[in-house]
Amino acid sequence: MSESEDAHDDDVLAAEYVLHLLDDDERRAFEARLATDRELQVRVWSWEKRLSPLSDAIEVVAPSKTLRSRVLQSVGEPPARRPAQALWAWIAGGAVTAGLLLFVLFGETFGPEPNLAVAFQAELASEDRAQVMVAGVIPATHEIVIERVTGTAPEGRVHELWLIAEGADAPVSLGLLENQGITRIRVPDDIAPGVRTGTIAVSEEPPGGSPSGAPTGPIVAAAQFSDV
Amino acid sequence: MTTIADIEDMMARITLRDRDALASLYDATSAKLFGVCLRVLQNRSEAEDVLHDVYVRVWQKADTYAVTGHSPMTWLITVTRNMSIDRLRKRRPETGSDDAMALVADAGPGPEAAAIASSERARIEACMGELESDRADAVRAVYLEGETYKDLAEHFDVPLNTMRTWLRRSLMKLRDCLTR
Repeated sequence: MSESEDAHDDDVLAAEYVLHLLDDDERRAFEARLATDRELQVRVWSWEKRLSPLSDAIEVVAPSKTLRSRVLQSVGEPPARRPAQALWAWIAGGAVTAGLLLFVLFGETFGPEPNLAVAFQAELASEDRAQVMVAGVIPATHEIVIERVTGTAPEGRVHELWLIAEGADAPVSLGLLENQGITRIRVPDDIAPGVRTGTIAVSEEPPGGSPSGAPTGPIVAAAQFSDV
Repeated sequence: MTTIADIEDMMARITLRDRDALASLYDATSAKLFGVCLRVLQNRSEAEDVLHDVYVRVWQKADTYAVTGHSPMTWLITVTRNMSIDRLRKRRPETGSDDAMALVADAGPGPEAAAIASSERARIEACMGELESDRADAVRAVYLEGETYKDLAEHFDVPLNTMRTWLRRSLMKLRDCLTR
């Protein structure tokens, strides 16, 4: 046993966390560390993986037939409702600081009727214009709305949207694009201020998106936003 | 027969908001995941509520599984187990767990499960076999049924701190054996 005492203690804690053996206070304290401590995350994942073969012993049991349709109904919300929900969740989440920041940055007025208008726009087009998308930003909801005008990702590939913030040295993934119609992507609060002045780009990736966290496929198009 | 590659493909398509892929994933995995919920909750209707929430979570969070480096099944089982135990902890104050000894005794592999034994399974069983049998039972009860230190201390009739020490040592032994 050559591992240090701290490493040993962290590994015990990680195991207890995975097994739900920590009390509420310990669990909260552990999760606070886990949010930023990569080494601790790896310990947790290792324990999850290590113990998971124990569940091979669990017998399979069919749930009732009605559950399947309940599940599919629950995920079948029409996409048109999403901006209002995102805004509501954002307000309910008490993101006051972010709200103030947004107010300062975008000068939006939050009355009883939030302004869901697109404030910035960009055209994302490939060189041969076989792929054309129009992207708009709704500052009130921190959303980027992307509409495909022409083209789709090739068979077996997906398009991923990236933000390269001004002065940043690496792109941040904003999510995957639907292969047709409109995709709405909510930008995390901490990077939203960088959207207006940064560059957005679309890359071609394997299903599920870039496995590495950086674009791996060809860049289809890139653009900057301008005011509407 | 659904392979790991099939499930990976379903997960990737779910990230792209493909409802049919979620339906396929449900068909391929719900009986296993329901087994996990039931094992923890011992109550069908609660287990179904949790299973419903598991698939909704999968729909929303399918893109996060890749960062863990888990196989899709490991990720699904981990999510299901976590959500089941969260539910169990919430109801614990008013619900007793007096049949837990029976569950511990039950925790060994059944014949049908043994038949599908994977090599990983064989490894962990071999390592569990190196622990004293009551300590291996304690590890299983914690993992499969969501037992707490307090539950275990009562069932094994030892002080809480002794139980804690036992289990921690057992886990470290298990880890050392599995990484050997």
